Amino acid sequence: MIAYAMNLATLIAINAILAITLNFIMGYAGIFSLAHALFFGVGAYTAAWIAMHVSADFFLTVSGAALLASLLSLALALPALRVREVYFVAASLGLQVLGSTVFAEWKSVTGGIGGVIGIPPAELFGIPLSDPHAFLALALACLTFVIAVTYGLVRSSFGRSLTAIRDSESAAAAYGKNVALIKTLAVVVSSALCAVAGALYAFYLSFINVESFVLDTSILLMAMVIIGGTGTVLGPIIGTVLLLLLPAGLSYLSFLPHTEIGSIQQMIYGLAMVVLMIFRPGGLVGGRSLGERK
Amino acid sequence: MLTRSRALAGFAAAAIAAFAAAAASADEITIGADLPLSGPNAQYGDTFSQGVNLAIADINADHMLSKTLVMDYEDSQALPQPGVVAANKLVSVVRVPYMLSAFTSVSKAIAPVAERSKTVAVNGGGVGPDLAELGDYFWNVIPLANYEVRAMVPYLVNERKLKRFALVYVDDPLGDAILKELRTELPKAGGELVGELKIPRDAEQFAGIAARAREVKPDVIYIASFGAQQSQIIKQFRDNGVSQLIASYSGFAIPAIDQEPEAKGALYTSQRMDWESNDPVTKRFVTEFKAKYGKAPNYYGANYYNAVMLFAILAQALEKKGEAITGENLLKERRAIGTFNLVGGKMEFQPNGSVIMPMQINEVDGKGGHIVK
Amino acid sequence: MLFLQLLVNGIQVGALYALTAVGFSLIFGSTRIFHVAHGATFTLAGYVFYELYSVAGEPWIAALAAATAGAGIFGVLVDRLVYAPIQRHEGSFFTVFVASFGISIVVQNLVGTAFGRGFVSISSPLSRSVELAPGLYAPPTAAISVLAAVVCFVGLHFFLTRTHIGMALRALSENPDLVRVFGLDPRRLSSYAFALGSLLVVPGALLTGATAGLSPALGNHVMLISLAATIVGGVGSLRGAACGGLLLGLAENLALWHLDPQWSEAVTFVVLFLFIIFRPAGFFGRVVTQ
Repeated sequence: MIAYAMNLATLIAINAILAITLNFIMGYAGIFSLAHALFFGVGAYTAAWIAMHVSADFFLTVSGAALLASLLSLALALPALRVREVYFVAASLGLQVLGSTVFAEWKSVTGGIGGVIGIPPAELFGIPLSDPHAFLALALACLTFVIAVTYGLVRSSFGRSLTAIRDSESAAAAYGKNVALIKTLAVVVSSALCAVAGALYAFYLSFINVESFVLDTSILLMAMVIIGGTGTVLGPIIGTVLLLLLPAGLSYLSFLPHTEIGSIQQMIYGLAMVVLMIFRPGGLVGGRSLGERK
Repeated sequence: MLTRSRALAGFAAAAIAAFAAAAASADEITIGADLPLSGPNAQYGDTFSQGVNLAIADINADHMLSKTLVMDYEDSQALPQPGVVAANKLVSVVRVPYMLSAFTSVSKAIAPVAERSKTVAVNGGGVGPDLAELGDYFWNVIPLANYEVRAMVPYLVNERKLKRFALVYVDDPLGDAILKELRTELPKAGGELVGELKIPRDAEQFAGIAARAREVKPDVIYIASFGAQQSQIIKQFRDNGVSQLIASYSGFAIPAIDQEPEAKGALYTSQRMDWESNDPVTKRFVTEFKAKYGKAPNYYGANYYNAVMLFAILAQALEKKGEAITGENLLKERRAIGTFNLVGGKMEFQPNGSVIMPMQINEVDGKGGHIVK
Repeated sequence: MLFLQLLVNGIQVGALYALTAVGFSLIFGSTRIFHVAHGATFTLAGYVFYELYSVAGEPWIAALAAATAGAGIFGVLVDRLVYAPIQRHEGSFFTVFVASFGISIVVQNLVGTAFGRGFVSISSPLSRSVELAPGLYAPPTAAISVLAAVVCFVGLHFFLTRTHIGMALRALSENPDLVRVFGLDPRRLSSYAFALGSLLVVPGALLTGATAGLSPALGNHVMLISLAATIVGGVGSLRGAACGGLLLGLAENLALWHLDPQWSEAVTFVVLFLFIIFRPAGFFGRVVTQ
């Protein structure tokens, strides 16, 4: 039972990092990305590659993963600067589909559907972290770091500029804000921190393949943020915990067929998205409406 | 027309669901099964578990072990990611000494989990030849595809005089393995691989691939895919003017192919098993299988029956010696015994943990298939 | 010859994409609702037909009627029960989009639970190809697809130019306030748009079921294609969506000439991505960016 709870806690920490970083661009900058799983994947594959070919040092792998993810995130920043709404959603979808294809096809690095097998445990100052307790502590430390960074940024003048742009881009520009630079920075920071979760995930499972980084994952992450509450600090964390505890809870209902639990979980969060949008578009935590007002 | 987004549970969903609820009581021995129970390849899981359940019933009826043997089924969906999550659950939460595996991609992904935790993983369904090289704790009770290809190629080239092969293969470790085998085996036999057509695992539209297959003017279309996709390929190839003979590996040994009208006449290889044999183990299996499921037994059912029976034989020997039933001891015992009396006769393990068996070629006829060679 | 064959395949697929995309574009253009659940309508129509025709053995015309009614009713219900309440109090683009996304997730999983997550095929002799020229094959479904597209487009054209509701729908897409001034109820018109747009998926759903098979996840692909065709063609232009759909169907199939099939969807989305960056107005559309 302890092993089970620890596994759940570790997965919640990793997913919470993903949801928080997605909320950072979605909730504060109004950038509705359906390509978040792509940067999760870039982080995971980069960390795995560095760990297997160079060194499994955690700080080295995470830095490498974050660096590459932030470089590639410029591909997402480009449409974010030029278009909005349906166009941006479509552009991010396009990136996600292209990314999944590359993950599936670039076999020398990603192993395709066969995946990357036998990733070594992460090392902290030369000591391998194979103990699950230690790994959970590491994941929680990363989560705290990500919360601190995003919270700090949101509270800073940078964060105020972001929300100003979200609410009215032209007004922000009129006040002399450098809209392009601020938006780009937001995307870069979000993707770099998202890659941290990728690295943790790769080390935790010691196996990764393309299935974890497809559109379905992006959608799940979006659901976590929206159900919890976009543009709030607590929202994404609550959304993550709820959506991850859901299947665990469902599996105690013994009348549900074992193989349908994944499906039922998806139905519940799909339905929750619909009902929340009708009655409480700001999510469980947020009172504010979603996105920009009409 | 490829649907990239899969009808899978989200990765986290699968991860958590698989870890939930695990309890074992003191008078039971639990072993695990990491098989496809849902998704487009669930039919394999059904077929495999028929053999598993029969073996469990026999072992408990014969009181082979001091405790009741229980199987913990987990769903791999025939995909590596949920497969690894399920294997992790079996190894670190349920703590099984022995687990069943299936599918090449899943088996390759879970082998490190088995090796690291010193848990035996036994495959009776996947046939990628590299499954033979996955370490001491990964065993195969099914002959691998290199033997299948080496049986099919000479037969088609020499006896049927069909020399030009077009391969339609799925983009995963199994497809890659078959491609590699055909590339080396065809020239040796005097044939030629004239087309290599790769398809994604979730592809469902094959009209264009059929056109490309026709273009290379093959004598034979060799299909290396599995499950529901195989039926789609066959139907759409026939729909789109591909009339050549279709050949495949043991992945065709499922009811869906047998019942697909367009598949009639297709050839596939499988291990040779004499269902009429007088060997008592085989006889018992055949009789019970017919009684329980109302149909003729199949190779997959027999393999998974064997895989579970193998555990019981090893565990029984360990109990007799008063040793603990751990993965390590099971491996030691397998090496000590070496040869086992199982369905289909004597099974002898190679040092790398795989088996060699004679092969046969079957023809799909809608009535369960018959042997052509 | 391979090129010609892929061209024929591409036209068949493209005709069905065009129909589906026009439905999406009609809804989006006249109501500004980003109806992602359009893909769910497609899946539902296909499975209703499959259940009645292939499983229950009803005559095809009855199954067709049920699938058509099902698609129309589903579209209208989603509009009335989900979009209307959201638009009453707020109605930002993202709120509606998220709700629509939720609906498509629910439908995909319901269908998967009810019918299994594998493929099902609507078996029909019409999907069996005949050899038109040496090495060139086409099934009767190809001709039916093109015919269905032409009939639907001609009908739609007459409806939009000759009937009151049609003209009001066009007006709605150009200027919603103008419609209100003339005393027409935009909410009622919205229901017409959803009914009409949803009906247009039926031929695509049935013919795809007969040729390539149905799967619960098919709706995602349909949604992606409709979205891409609408943008490439130009938002608000039905003609553009039709051309966009045909173009994507052709591109997907012609890509097989030199590429492996796993790249065809990626090729589609690279084209889409480039359009969004460099020509967001599409072929025929107005610029609706910032």
